[in-house]
Amino acid sequence: MLAYILRRIAATVPVMAIVAFFVFSLLYIAPGDPAVVIAGDQATPADIERIRENLGLDRPFLVQFGEWLWRLLHADLGKSIFTNLPVTAMIGQRIGPTLSLMVVTLCLAVSVAVPMGVVTAWQAGTWIDRVFMGFAVFGFSVPVFVVAYLLAFVFALELDWLPVQGYTPMSEGLWPWLSNLILPAIALGCVYTALIARITRASMLEVLQQDYIKTARAKGMGSGGILFVHALKNAAVPVVTVIGIGMALLIGGAVVTESVFVIPGLGRLTIDAILRRDYPVIQGVVLLFSFVYVLVNLMIDLLYTALDPRIRY
Amino acid sequence: MITIPAITIPEGLAIAAPLPDILPPVRPARGLLGFVRRRPTIAIGGALLLAILLTALLAPYLWTVDPTALAPARRTREPSTAFWFGTDMLGRDLYSRVLYGTRVSLTVGFSVAIFASLAGLAVGLVSGFVRWADGIVMRFMDGLMSIPPILLAIALMALTKGSVGNVIVAIGIAEFPRVARLVRSVVLSLREQPYVDAAVAAGTRSPMIILRHILPNTLAPMTVQATYICASAMITEAILSFIGAGTPPTIPSWGNIMAEGRALWQVKPYIVAFPAIFLSLTVLSVNLMGDGLRDALDPRLAKQL
Repeated sequence: MLAYILRRIAATVPVMAIVAFFVFSLLYIAPGDPAVVIAGDQATPADIERIRENLGLDRPFLVQFGEWLWRLLHADLGKSIFTNLPVTAMIGQRIGPTLSLMVVTLCLAVSVAVPMGVVTAWQAGTWIDRVFMGFAVFGFSVPVFVVAYLLAFVFALELDWLPVQGYTPMSEGLWPWLSNLILPAIALGCVYTALIARITRASMLEVLQQDYIKTARAKGMGSGGILFVHALKNAAVPVVTVIGIGMALLIGGAVVTESVFVIPGLGRLTIDAILRRDYPVIQGVVLLFSFVYVLVNLMIDLLYTALDPRIRY
Repeated sequence: MITIPAITIPEGLAIAAPLPDILPPVRPARGLLGFVRRRPTIAIGGALLLAILLTALLAPYLWTVDPTALAPARRTREPSTAFWFGTDMLGRDLYSRVLYGTRVSLTVGFSVAIFASLAGLAVGLVSGFVRWADGIVMRFMDGLMSIPPILLAIALMALTKGSVGNVIVAIGIAEFPRVARLVRSVVLSLREQPYVDAAVAAGTRSPMIILRHILPNTLAPMTVQATYICASAMITEAILSFIGAGTPPTIPSWGNIMAEGRALWQVKPYIVAFPAIFLSLTVLSVNLMGDGLRDALDPRLAKQL
């Protein structure tokens, strides 16, 4: 067991190395001279030279990659071209709101999607199933900012139930913090919820055909007990997997959601960095999110054995 | 007429009515109406997509004006009979802009779907067939897939000049590893099939086996995947344009229109609303097509979801 965990952790190291290599080499893959593109149209040759030096474009590729990787291992992501601050410090300032948004969205989406998937599987083929699965198709199709504007318009502008935009740190009270995050979390969680609900339904449908479900029913167990105790536990592995894979949707959507609801998080940082063509910052954010994504999926892999003791390594 | 033999029927036992002698003939529904009934999702999605496609092609003839014509005198007009969708803060006609925006969205969606399919097919076939390359190639694909697609596209766009072509390539690079993975898994299961063994035993060369036996079988799952990629590429393009890393602002695209309407959305919500509705309908139509195609082409997958 311990050997498996160690092996699994070791296996993510090459993946992370490849991610780092990709994120680094994007500078070289891009057509044209990135220093010129980043400097913009009004740049003087001195500006371009400064950027080239900052990005290290004036030295051989492998030397740079080695140095960059070495600094990365010491948690140094370089300096912003625009503010000249360390990228790690800039990320540190902005990570709170994004983390809050992600956690609230994750809790909300899972607590809605899993019961939805269970109920639709139980009622498969009825109108309840069709209504919810129809909703899931819409959830996939309506882009995150459309939901975001719609929710903000209805619940903040027209009904005035929740704040339109902004962010309050948790230190100023739980409700002010949460009230600012409810609408963004619903908007961001829409696609994610649809995805989890669909997989939960599919996985449950398969489990509900098993013999032990019939046994449970025959011995007189109630539907609720069967669904949530026997069936859901055995249907959990694909559901947990998709919760992890779907994190990519959350990360991408967060950038947009933060922009609509004016949340000063990493998404805002990314957008500002794009407008200023501040590549080291973009690189840092992409790298951070990718590592988080890899680590979350690693943890989920390790969770499998806890969820399903039949999985042994 | 069937006569029921005279047996004593116990209390409470019902006898089913006799079946009619001849069952009514099963008539498979034919023609357009039959197709609509059998495959409602493809029919609805297809009709919607066709309407959108025609809108894109016929944009200049649908009572539009120049979508980039500035008119500061009539800024931010509400929707009216003169300006069906109103005007934006530079006085440009929103109806024309939204209709022309259809072109960008469809171009990006279809091009990314084709680009990602071809690139994914090539990588997937190599990876599935060339054993020594498989490990390395798939590790690279894993690495690429570990970067959330939108972020990868953002990073690529930050390094290039904004243009529709660059948007297509950036989204395509972010999407193609998924196709590669799918094709590889199909190839791996196909190469164990007896008819492939037979072809190998008969001395057929690898390129011919791929062309004749493998490729046709990858087409169905790939088409389904391509439809979903098309839908997600359209959303990604809108997101990139919305945050200023996509189509250049001089070209009217839905993401650009929404980005321009962002500052005013609380007072002039229609600037954001019209492109948003068009984008959602377009993505919905493609997704419906995808679901329908999946049910039709890939029954195994259909049962899973």
